[in-house]
Amino acid sequence: MSFKIKGEKREVFGKNASRRLRRNGMIPVILYGAKDVNIPLTLNKKDVFQILRSESGENTVFEVSFNSETMNAMIKDLQKNLVTDEIIHADLIQIALDKAIRISVPVVTVGDAVGVKTEGGFVDFITREIEIECLPKDIPEQIEIDISELHLRQSFKVEEVVLPGEIKLISDPETILFHIEEPAKEEEIEVEEEEEEVIGEEEEPEVIKKEKLEEEEKEEKKEEAKEGEEKKEEKRKEKKKE
Amino acid sequence: MLMPKKVKFRKQQRGRMRGSPQRGASLEFGEYGLQALEPVWMTARQIEAGRIAISRHVKRKGKLWIRAFPWKPVTKKPTEVRMGKGKGDPEFWVDVIKPGRILYEIEGIPENTAREAMRLAAHKLPMRTRFVSRESKELR
Repeated sequence: MSFKIKGEKREVFGKNASRRLRRNGMIPVILYGAKDVNIPLTLNKKDVFQILRSESGENTVFEVSFNSETMNAMIKDLQKNLVTDEIIHADLIQIALDKAIRISVPVVTVGDAVGVKTEGGFVDFITREIEIECLPKDIPEQIEIDISELHLRQSFKVEEVVLPGEIKLISDPETILFHIEEPAKEEEIEVEEEEEEVIGEEEEPEVIKKEKLEEEEKEEKKEEAKEGEEKKEEKRKEKKKE
Repeated sequence: MLMPKKVKFRKQQRGRMRGSPQRGASLEFGEYGLQALEPVWMTARQIEAGRIAISRHVKRKGKLWIRAFPWKPVTKKPTEVRMGKGKGDPEFWVDVIKPGRILYEIEGIPENTAREAMRLAAHKLPMRTRFVSRESKELR
């Protein structure tokens, strides 16, 4: 589904003007990526919500029109209020439909792992997104990975991901996506709980003294001087060879 | 109880709790978390009490991350001591929490268990909090 959004070029900037915009149901955004100049715009909040609620979410390519210009764009970054989750600002990046782009796509697990079902472990996510390169029309909503054959203490690496179509993998293939981890043993929990009960006077932490700091600094300087000398010697040797 | 192993200075000035956190305001490790909604000094005991509440509820399932650490010493003068004669001795340790900061993260347990564990932990804490998850995509 393709979205077409109407925007207006922003003439007023700063905290006050942006707050006024937000009060009227608009979001200040900035569009870049095409020319050297960034284009400040205002978009209707409802239009942005429509894009975010779509299947592809933030990775949706849409058309932005303003002042008789139309561009294909994508949301690059969203700034939200930490407490109210209100969208404060968005960065849009212009997209050329015939050029491949680099993008992060979420990874989702499918099926219950053997290690979870029968061996009592749980899925520990190490990386939740992978970076891919593809044409804007080929951007997948998410990458599904079947984990039903994973046993306890087994992991799944990026290199094992099967990508659909002409999608190129950019993330490091050695990166671990998730592994089936063992839950904490009962003994460990008991030890922790014993520690909890001992609440008394505690020792103060060690204070790093000035003398120590000075000594450390001196040592660092010595090391730097040594490295410098080594480099000089190497240069001399190279010159001699020449 | 949590406290630093080494410090550069034994005592610190109090400071202010204005603004929003510079980091630690998003879920980085787990699936669910507990987010602070008010600025507060969270003591090592409170952090520990929350941790115990969560780990007791989830028993031995899942994995817990504690995102708060008490790095700031708080001093106190002994009782019935006249004013003056210098700053008191360090009494306890706190973390300066600002609205939006994630306090605990958890993974490997169902949402309802995580929600209940976080609710129990929130009762041990000195500020308003809310439960956050990666899946919740409320738009405002």
